[in-house]
Amino acid sequence: MNRTIVLIKDTAGTGDATREAHAQWVKKLRDAGLDGTVQAVRAADLGIYNAGMAVKILPEGPCYVNVRSEDIDRIIETTLKQGTVIEELTRHTVVEQVRIVLRNCGKVDPENIDDYLGVGGYQGLSRCLFDLTPEQVIEEVKASGLRGRGGAGYPCWLKWSLARKAFGDEKYIVCNADEGDPGAYMDRSVLEGDPYAIIEGMTIIAYAVGAKKGMFYIRAEYPLAIKRIQLAIDKAYGVGLLGEKILGSEFSFDCEIRLGAGAFVCGEETALIASIEGRRGTPRPRPPYPSDYGLWGKPTVINNVETMANVSYLLLNGPGDFARMGTEKSKGTKVFALTGGVRNSGLVEIPMGTTLRSIVEGLGGGSADGKPIKAIQTGGPSGGMIPAEHFDTPVSYEHLQALGSIMGSGGMIALTENDCMVDIAKFYLGFCVDESCGKCSPCRIGGFQMLLLLEKIADGKGSQEDITSIRRLAVAMQKASLCGLGQSAPNPVLSTLQYFMKEIEEHVVEKKCRAGKCTSLLQYVINPQACKRCRLCVVNCPVNAITGDRQVGYTVGQNVCIKCGKCYEVCKFEAVDRR
Amino acid sequence: MEKLTRELLKKNSRESTGRAAGSYVKVGMSSCGIAAGAQKIFDLLKEEIGRAHPEVAVERCGCNGLCYAEPLVEVSIEGVPPVLYGQVTPDIAHRIVEEHLGDRRLLNDHIYAMAVKGTSAP
Repeated sequence: MNRTIVLIKDTAGTGDATREAHAQWVKKLRDAGLDGTVQAVRAADLGIYNAGMAVKILPEGPCYVNVRSEDIDRIIETTLKQGTVIEELTRHTVVEQVRIVLRNCGKVDPENIDDYLGVGGYQGLSRCLFDLTPEQVIEEVKASGLRGRGGAGYPCWLKWSLARKAFGDEKYIVCNADEGDPGAYMDRSVLEGDPYAIIEGMTIIAYAVGAKKGMFYIRAEYPLAIKRIQLAIDKAYGVGLLGEKILGSEFSFDCEIRLGAGAFVCGEETALIASIEGRRGTPRPRPPYPSDYGLWGKPTVINNVETMANVSYLLLNGPGDFARMGTEKSKGTKVFALTGGVRNSGLVEIPMGTTLRSIVEGLGGGSADGKPIKAIQTGGPSGGMIPAEHFDTPVSYEHLQALGSIMGSGGMIALTENDCMVDIAKFYLGFCVDESCGKCSPCRIGGFQMLLLLEKIADGKGSQEDITSIRRLAVAMQKASLCGLGQSAPNPVLSTLQYFMKEIEEHVVEKKCRAGKCTSLLQYVINPQACKRCRLCVVNCPVNAITGDRQVGYTVGQNVCIKCGKCYEVCKFEAVDRR
Repeated sequence: MEKLTRELLKKNSRESTGRAAGSYVKVGMSSCGIAAGAQKIFDLLKEEIGRAHPEVAVERCGCNGLCYAEPLVEVSIEGVPPVLYGQVTPDIAHRIVEEHLGDRRLLNDHIYAMAVKGTSAP
């Protein structure tokens, strides 16, 4: 007999309410004589927040919110016995994930090709090879409106048709799996969770472009991804899905892996090509673009992992559903790695046009510790901070760019009141300074000088002139740098200047850091009135900076203190002041 | 290995779909899952289920996105709606085998049920 499950969870926060409701449900189900077929279960998380008592009926039943105990009888009578949905209790979903790229992640065994074939895998390629001309494949992708998911959002069909028309019979496809943005791991998850979808997408692009050879450029820090892609390539060769005459057609395609040695700049396409060719990974000026003059001087298409996973979906299901989702210029879905101060960090795939607020508050469950989220960082070190007043902006390439950030590859970090914006800007700029290849001076010198100025501000030694200098350096870097790394490195700093000027001025004028992150501006002082002389701070201080005894009380030696904040955390009487 | 042709591919797709309908337990085994201890859970489930319920397949899969709730275990047995258990410890894994697979009673307090379009997880 098929069993029905009633999942119960109090979404307002207090744990005991779920237990009480569960007990009521168990009793009422027993009274109704349903306890043999219906089980009430306390859920850990229903993905619903601040909506009172939530009840979800499985399989495929409705989801009710703000359920009061007097509603239970009604739900049992109407929904469980008669199968009718109670409209006024039904939750109307604000935001829902739609999974295209992640369609098989968590579903198929990444090391078993039969699993992938079982969910319609390689049917799209088969359709291309036998029913469509390369031009028709490009047309379908054009109709879908797919744009590159690596960050810049260049239309895929255009890139491919340029490479198709380019002179020469030897062409290459490269999958850019050199994912390096701090806090972004969408590509890793797809590589590890659904490797065949990427290989199929790559093969389809090769067919459309007329390439015979493909390469995965994967960063060496992703050992499991490398292992699974290699295994997938081997198995695909074994069953004739790679190599000579794929599926018995006239089309042949070879594929191999090249490892990146961990340089962030190698995600830039010309640096990536240099790295594959065995040269030092530095970018070169464009044009000529890789679609004309790429790997070994041959026409090359470079697409990101997520783009390729989209392609295998598109050629299987057609462009219709994909093109219906999203905004006018940004179609389909985007995967974000949601991290930072949110309750639920993880991967979310949402249709373009979903607002930032619904991602962070709906899917992310809002702030983890109750402190308001003051900004969202998108696009990693090339992106910017988006302040709370712009959280209703829909996610699309254009909208994010208008706010001074970028879509990027999909990192999304929620920043709360615990985060200092100067500190965050310093972190991202520091990352770019570390990763700058040093080839062009605006990026090599400009970035370093800008970082020094930011450090000065964080140390409380900054002045208004420093802010002006930062702006000038930022503009110079944006205009004169050779590649995307240098051109976009000032973005986190500029967006901080744009939206969080007040916080910077506090550092400069009042010499204060409200988040308590800039340690030079802090002082930990023990308040003798509140201190109970328990010695907890003395015991916990890692540098023995706290001296004194039970008679005279304790003081923090400011010249020894490293401002780790341990005393502040451990004090049970709030006797340690942070100022 | 036999080379696939277009016809074989079509047949293969249908056959595999039929097989996936059976009872299974899937463990999320991407980097995030393994870092949270999924390998141990997988081994434990494989051993205990192999002994007590050999008809249930124990499989591995990629990360389904709920990284904060790793290790994730999806359980689908006949007659019971498929559910996803999160933050599974060896103790919970043991209870899944005994209570969910054995008595067909779902475990309290460990089910994660997010609404997601286009995946098998509830």
